[in-house]
Amino acid sequence: MFRRTLAAIALALAAAPATAQDFPSGAVSYVIPFGPGGESDITARFQQPHFKELFGEDLVISYKPGGGGAVGWSQLNTMPADGTAIMGINLPHIIVKPMQGNVGFQTDDIVPVHMFHYTPDAIVVRADSDYQTLDDLISDAKENPRQVTFSGSGKGTANHIAQLRFDEMAGIDTTYVSFDGTGSSTTANLGGQVKAQWGYTTVGAAQGDEVRLLAVAMDERHPAFPDVPTFKELGYDLVSGAYRGIAVPKDTSEDMRAEVADAIQQINDQEAFRQTMLDNGFALTDISYGEEMDAFMAQKADEYLEAARAGGVIE
Amino acid sequence: MLDYLAQALTPLNVLFALGGVAAGTVIGSIPGLTATMAVAVLVPITFAMDPASALILLGAIYTGAIYGGAYAAILLNTPGTPSAIATTFDGYPMAKRGDGDLAVSIACLSSLIGGLVGAAALLLLAPPLARAALAFGPVEYFWLAVFGLSLISALSTGNVIKGLIGASFGLLLATIGISETSAQVRFTFGSNTLLGGIEIVSALIGLYCIPVLMDLVATSDRHLSKPEATRGFRLPEAVSALMRNKVNVIRSSVIGTLVGALPGAGGSIAGLVAYSEARRSGKGAERYGEGNPGGIVATESANNATVGGGFIPTLVLGIPGTPPDAVILGALLVQGVRTGPALFADGSSIVYTFVFGLFLATLLMLPVGLLIGRFAYGAIVQAPKMALVPVVAFMTVIGAFAIRNSLSDVGIMIVLGVIGWTVQRRGFDVSPIVLGLILGSIAEKGFVQGWTIGDAMGNVWGQFFGRPLAQVIIVLAILSAAYPAFPWARRLIAQRRDPGPATAPPPRAGETAPPRARLADALALSVFGAVAIVVIVQARGLNADAAVFPRTVAWAMLAFVALAAIRLVVLKRAARPAPARGRARTAIVPVAMLGAVALIPAVGFLVGGVALALVLMAAAYHRDGEGGRAIVSVAGVVAVVIGVTLAFRELLAVPLPGGTLF
Repeated sequence: MFRRTLAAIALALAAAPATAQDFPSGAVSYVIPFGPGGESDITARFQQPHFKELFGEDLVISYKPGGGGAVGWSQLNTMPADGTAIMGINLPHIIVKPMQGNVGFQTDDIVPVHMFHYTPDAIVVRADSDYQTLDDLISDAKENPRQVTFSGSGKGTANHIAQLRFDEMAGIDTTYVSFDGTGSSTTANLGGQVKAQWGYTTVGAAQGDEVRLLAVAMDERHPAFPDVPTFKELGYDLVSGAYRGIAVPKDTSEDMRAEVADAIQQINDQEAFRQTMLDNGFALTDISYGEEMDAFMAQKADEYLEAARAGGVIE
Repeated sequence: MLDYLAQALTPLNVLFALGGVAAGTVIGSIPGLTATMAVAVLVPITFAMDPASALILLGAIYTGAIYGGAYAAILLNTPGTPSAIATTFDGYPMAKRGDGDLAVSIACLSSLIGGLVGAAALLLLAPPLARAALAFGPVEYFWLAVFGLSLISALSTGNVIKGLIGASFGLLLATIGISETSAQVRFTFGSNTLLGGIEIVSALIGLYCIPVLMDLVATSDRHLSKPEATRGFRLPEAVSALMRNKVNVIRSSVIGTLVGALPGAGGSIAGLVAYSEARRSGKGAERYGEGNPGGIVATESANNATVGGGFIPTLVLGIPGTPPDAVILGALLVQGVRTGPALFADGSSIVYTFVFGLFLATLLMLPVGLLIGRFAYGAIVQAPKMALVPVVAFMTVIGAFAIRNSLSDVGIMIVLGVIGWTVQRRGFDVSPIVLGLILGSIAEKGFVQGWTIGDAMGNVWGQFFGRPLAQVIIVLAILSAAYPAFPWARRLIAQRRDPGPATAPPPRAGETAPPRARLADALALSVFGAVAIVVIVQARGLNADAAVFPRTVAWAMLAFVALAAIRLVVLKRAARPAPARGRARTAIVPVAMLGAVALIPAVGFLVGGVALALVLMAAAYHRDGEGGRAIVSVAGVVAVVIGVTLAFRELLAVPLPGGTLF
């Protein structure tokens, strides 16, 4: 009851005529639905100083981990809808998770206002691996069905869906071993526990000469890895990865949604921010609230759900 | 090298190290406030600092927090951080008999040595140790978790079967929520509260601390026996205790360093493994688990060694060894420092400055730690019950909330506390449950991953039993599990050789238990049996990856329950707890705490907290206790509650629910 009253008051306040500079009107709480140290956290930390510099207000990062993000997202709409609270969102999580059972939220409950970057999927092998090219891996997988093992971060995740889609495209049958994050998946790969890793370009950036990327799932080559081909170049139409963005509670006014999106876009426009992101292996996307976002979400939902269904991740 | 030392030793950096250690120690001593959180809050401040100073500050806080976890473990039987679980085993019995001050000093010295060994390994051996850590695959992590579980045989004094039932229960608790490896929702019964699973730190607080609080209010007895005179730090005694444990402290520090270097293990396992090894090789007269200083030496040196050890994979591989490392790694990336293989190869100055900073912080921990420890001991021993109970209860609520900013976690903590109190009275120790809960997810992940890889290769057996490293851990686990039977076996052999006047087994006080006690035990067993059956039934609806582990554990649990039931029927023995005193007062603790959780969303954290404190003060008030100072106590407790709430909200930026009244 109290909460509803509060929400009503918040709504009334939010509905007040918007002026040019409503966001940020003070410190903004930025909730990451994962623990610290992951890529959602690190990219938020990259944004933090720029936010302060651009708008003169603090961006206060806090964590609400649990259930692979579900705990945070299931509480998104209980946060104040007045532009003082924003939450990190991830694809494919917010699309695939609600299809896997009752996780406390539906995809439609979440209002994405900006998707600011993604970590493109990539096949990563150790520097001393026998696989010099993607073809080496594919031919090994054809000769030894199931015996090519990949480590990857989680099930129903970007890595897993990329593995399912790529197996389909290349006509191979590989084994995907799910780890609880990119860190432990990378450890398993470096330690030779698996033959290769479905990881991200960020793994290549962090591990340097210790690893080799066989291909990246991007439209064009990543500036940090000019020598690594894209899957597209090699004849596989795979452009995928983990997309990250910002959502606001659904009671947030249309004006406020646009303003939050605009602020995130302004950070994305900072040259220093772009450079840091690229150096660390991320790829920027500038998808803002509005038609652009709607089209993007619709397209991704189709892609992910089809692959997840085909792979038995969801029913 | 000396240049780097000089850089680390600038007055400003020394100041940061000193302040960091002090702040960390205080934070670590509060159950629920973890090193991870302390470091995360400070990250934005370090953006404006020179990278080396920032790292030194973060490292110092981390070091202090791991040590500070010992205070609550020793004085309240509640590990302030998960790393300090095994510190409770001997630390609390020591405090109970009036040696809390000595225990705190021993913890400080042991932490110092462990910290220095870990930092030395980071300085001298980081790249080779990081390579070695990579040899640990899923199967080795699985067996490492089993090794940790082997401690159950020692922890469950008197009744191993009940210990195994408790551990199975803990393992099952760990599977609640969305599975990490299979992404399936398990055992939530449709509740969103359970979706995120049972958060380990708040569960620890619940299982260990709430039973202590419930027993505290029941009587007017003092919490810890109070020394007649102040005895200073008791340093000479602590040093001689450490000298008696020379081998122990070195072995435990090395174990801590090695386990810390495994990304995916962490301080809690390091402490448990070191404790287990100390107990296995202990020859002294004092028994472990009953107040042997060796237990504190092992755990505290091991967990502080994980600080240096954990930075090894963080800095060499760019893969964080522990959660606080993960935060520090993030801070480094923002600072533009690129961790990973290149960092050590380049002989980058920042790494060495940081390592020397870590040495500095560890050394400063000695004076800082002794002083703060002295204060913590004094506060807890001197505090009248009616101040101690509400303050500790409030701290557990705010601490459990702050971990994930979730009131549900507070509710789960309280419920687990009641479960812990109840099963303890039926002879089930909480420690096996905690072990199961902590090691469950590591064991499950390793098991499912190892199985998947072995299955793909067509060699599951070889995967689990054929790898040399796995074989070593298996042998150690067997030795550790079988250890409690050693004296028995030795006696048996001795008796065969010398059939002289054998020492008769100590007469058991009353072989058969009264029917009421047996009925209560039977009831407890049927509840555990029912839990196992529910899990088995529910697992049928899950996919293979998600179902295999809980189903296996549940079947094992059912077998243990059956064994215990047979034992109950045949031997007619049952747990006979001390008669419950002050039942009404005991019940007030969880009821008032749950009430506060229900009230907080409406009236806000501050008002809810003050109300909780007042109710518990009344519950803990005994006329024959320390009356007279009641007014002072009320004012003091309310001031603490308000102060802590404000500190959490303003300094630590914890989004405490405001409600309508602040």
